[in-house]
Amino acid sequence: MKFPLRYLLPLALLGLTAIALATVLQFSDLPPADFTFANGTEVKSVDPKMVTGVPEGRVIEALFEGLYQRLPDPADPTTMITAPGQATSYELSDDKLTYTFHIREDSVWTNGEPVTAHDWVFSWQRFLHPQLPSEYAYQLWYVKNAEKYSLSKVEVGDRVEIEMADRSGPKMSPAIDGNSEQHYPRGTIRSGILQEINVVTVGEDENAKTGKYFVVNVQPTKDGEIDWDADGETQTFVKLSEENVVLKKILKDVPDVQQVNFLTVHWDEVGIKATDDHTLVVTLANPTPYFLDLVAFYPMHPVNRTCIETYGYPRWTKPENIVSNGPFTLEFRRIRDRIRLRKNPKYWDAENVKLNIIDALAVQSDTTMLNMYMNGQIDWETSIPIPALEKLQERDAARDEGSLPDLRISPMLTTYFYRVNTTRPPLDNPSVRRALNLAIDKEEIVKYITRAGQVPADSLVPTGLPGYAGGHTGQYDPKEARRLLAEAGFPDGKGFPKIQILYNTHEAHKDIASVIQQQLKKNLQIDVELRNLEWSVYLASQKNLEFDLSRAAWTADYPDPNTFLDMFVTDGENNQTGWSNAEYDQLIHDAQSEPDPAKRLEMLSEAEQILMDEAPILPIYYYVSMNIVRPYVKNFYPNLQDLHPLHILEIDEAEKQRIFAAEGLR
Amino acid sequence: MTRFLVRRAIWILITLWLVYTFSFFLMLSVPGGPMSSERSYPPEIEKMRRDRFHLNDPWPVQYWHYLSNACYGDFLASQVLNDYEVSEIISEGFPVSATLGILAMALALVLGLSAGIISALWRNSLLDVMFRSLATIGIAVPNFVLAGIAILIFVFQLKWFPAAGWGKPIDMVLPAICLAAPFAAYISRLTRTGMLDVLGQDYIRTAYAKGLMSSTVVLKHAVRGALLPVVSYLGPAVAGILTGSLVIERIFFLPGLGTHFIEAVTQRDYTTSLGIVMVSTALVLVMNTLVDVSYQLLDPRIKLK
Repeated sequence: MKFPLRYLLPLALLGLTAIALATVLQFSDLPPADFTFANGTEVKSVDPKMVTGVPEGRVIEALFEGLYQRLPDPADPTTMITAPGQATSYELSDDKLTYTFHIREDSVWTNGEPVTAHDWVFSWQRFLHPQLPSEYAYQLWYVKNAEKYSLSKVEVGDRVEIEMADRSGPKMSPAIDGNSEQHYPRGTIRSGILQEINVVTVGEDENAKTGKYFVVNVQPTKDGEIDWDADGETQTFVKLSEENVVLKKILKDVPDVQQVNFLTVHWDEVGIKATDDHTLVVTLANPTPYFLDLVAFYPMHPVNRTCIETYGYPRWTKPENIVSNGPFTLEFRRIRDRIRLRKNPKYWDAENVKLNIIDALAVQSDTTMLNMYMNGQIDWETSIPIPALEKLQERDAARDEGSLPDLRISPMLTTYFYRVNTTRPPLDNPSVRRALNLAIDKEEIVKYITRAGQVPADSLVPTGLPGYAGGHTGQYDPKEARRLLAEAGFPDGKGFPKIQILYNTHEAHKDIASVIQQQLKKNLQIDVELRNLEWSVYLASQKNLEFDLSRAAWTADYPDPNTFLDMFVTDGENNQTGWSNAEYDQLIHDAQSEPDPAKRLEMLSEAEQILMDEAPILPIYYYVSMNIVRPYVKNFYPNLQDLHPLHILEIDEAEKQRIFAAEGLR
Repeated sequence: MTRFLVRRAIWILITLWLVYTFSFFLMLSVPGGPMSSERSYPPEIEKMRRDRFHLNDPWPVQYWHYLSNACYGDFLASQVLNDYEVSEIISEGFPVSATLGILAMALALVLGLSAGIISALWRNSLLDVMFRSLATIGIAVPNFVLAGIAILIFVFQLKWFPAAGWGKPIDMVLPAICLAAPFAAYISRLTRTGMLDVLGQDYIRTAYAKGLMSSTVVLKHAVRGALLPVVSYLGPAVAGILTGSLVIERIFFLPGLGTHFIEAVTQRDYTTSLGIVMVSTALVLVMNTLVDVSYQLLDPRIKLK
């Protein structure tokens, strides 16, 4: 019998539905996690060297552990201290330049290899390597010669190392700047002393391309060591990363020139040494009082050499390949869904890690997050939809006395501010900028718009850093503002051109900008326009100084005023105001090498006062961290940096049952 | 038929290339890029980060680089989710979207067809009025509003379903219903009109006159005739379900292609967004071809050229 073709369609549909239903039913019934939290955006990578974000930090801190770790102080859990991690102790030399870390002997990687000082030498070299596009590499530039190494800055007379172009990645393509898939496993390395740097230019004027080639006295090795005193052999090298036209010209003009992956200052010159398996000696360029905090910061966490050399990047980050040394292991990742972490039984302090399975969900929508929280699907949420804030506060207020609230709001080291484009008149006049600042009533903004207990700001560096006085702008003072504006030649705002406030798409930014618009009109008779741009466009405009006023925020990388202040040095990448002040630059620079901590903070205060007087930025408010956590989660403490290590958290099961029963949840 | 399919295939390839080229240049002309971040880096590091994805090359060079790889089905690495290739993102996201889409489609067809047939058979009855009002509401209410209402009722009042998430069969129920609703409504309208049209025709009267059971008449003769407008609606419906799922996936936190697409576009992840655009375009084009083919199967009077 002939099969009637017209049945094909319904049959196909039936078949597809059956497949879909089977897929649905086949969903592996995952064991539920002990602890689930909303981590915000999907993490860009779990390689500690490749990321800078907060969500990434939470996952990486769970997978890897650094020399030191930041934990709540047992005496006062709302402050963080640096506690021993993979290092048990350290000594600091009298000149505050040399740190000697003692690495614990009982720590192993998940592949069974012991964790040694050499792991840091490898990891930090990879981190600083000129060919690894690591975003946070500059956090290690406090180490002697690290910056030179990282940026391949060389001078005649330097000891240099050269990687020959005989390495290839998994796809067998040559490794040129940034394009190498492996980034680190190295080709043949030659060492020598740089004798000449020759600059070659092709083309004229604007189209001119320049490149360099290097003449090096290559030293031989003796007994596996480089013999720096030998006569050596003169060779010339050019980097593969040079512009094509320049490279061609050099290859044509210079006989015997060799193409190389990179040429940089010799690694032996960088202040990172393993003197034995368990001793790491780090020499800094300048005394850096917050160096221990940096060492505890996730980009500095070690990565496993065997794993990286076997799989290369990014394959080494796959759950089936990754080797880590932290309290948790990576069980699986589902893109933009969840990362599942499981307790690492080999972790040195495993007996104090209480949670077995943790799910980090990549939920983006605040509302979805709150729905899931209220439905008992997640235990900790890292942001709150502002419209729900009041209801949540009421809910907490109605709780029995003594029980923990769900909402945990506390000050943090982040400042919301406006950048002023100091290259555009009349904003190039400090009196005008000061007038703008004094005419903004910040109290009104935190009271009616942000509403979660944010603090009006009169400085860039948030309050709360011990021993730091800071610089201040002075309080809201419309009268003084009018006087300053008149002094600058705009009495009652007459003749003042219309200015624009730039912000990225977000309800709160828009509301704040409108309030400032009204206040400037009311207090100074200045007309202000609002310009809303989508995130990437806004960033580009801000970078290119295409704005009058632009909304911004900055979060501390480490608990020290320097993290805020060093961004405003002349031509700093994050300055983005066009502002420059020689005295300020000098103070920031000098403070970096000031060994006396009190004096150093004084210098930074002085610098901040200059910043506040000159007002290239208008501080608006200091942030608060807004977490919402189920009260049965133990050891969750609000702190200035909003850090919540996962491995100290614990679930009070009885309390959980009680709360779920009371709310009718499963 | 074969000639029709070959010609269609050529057109699909040309369309894909045009869509690719257009999306590529449109995307690059928008300011910002995958490397934009609030934090700025020293120029050397910035260069290296960009070099990794050929972002420092002129557009035509980049275009050639991406296109030549895409021709082999390799959309390269994601420029934002550094640990993944675009093909990995698509192959993880596609089953989620496809499952949701197929379930929603099946639901829409089952609900829509039965409601439409019932409405037509009992024309102007209370049931008909009810179904018709429901259909009007279903078409008028956007699915994110529907999702909000459904969450309020089924998640927080009745506590039947989880609020969001992906992992258990129960997680699919609410999203599939919310996604299906407007399509079910539209299909029920089309079916009702089609049925009324067919029921008045001579061959139906003849069938009744022959003494056939009314169920046989309706299911065997009438429905087939009424199905044609519904089938022609399936092409746009598949496209609609694909785009509609962007919102639903976001609300219900489903890691489907829609979620990946929105994120890739907002983060300027050029490679990922291009990859997803290509896959979705190919899907819509293929679905339309299948619908055209099915016309002939349903109605022998239609010949494909």
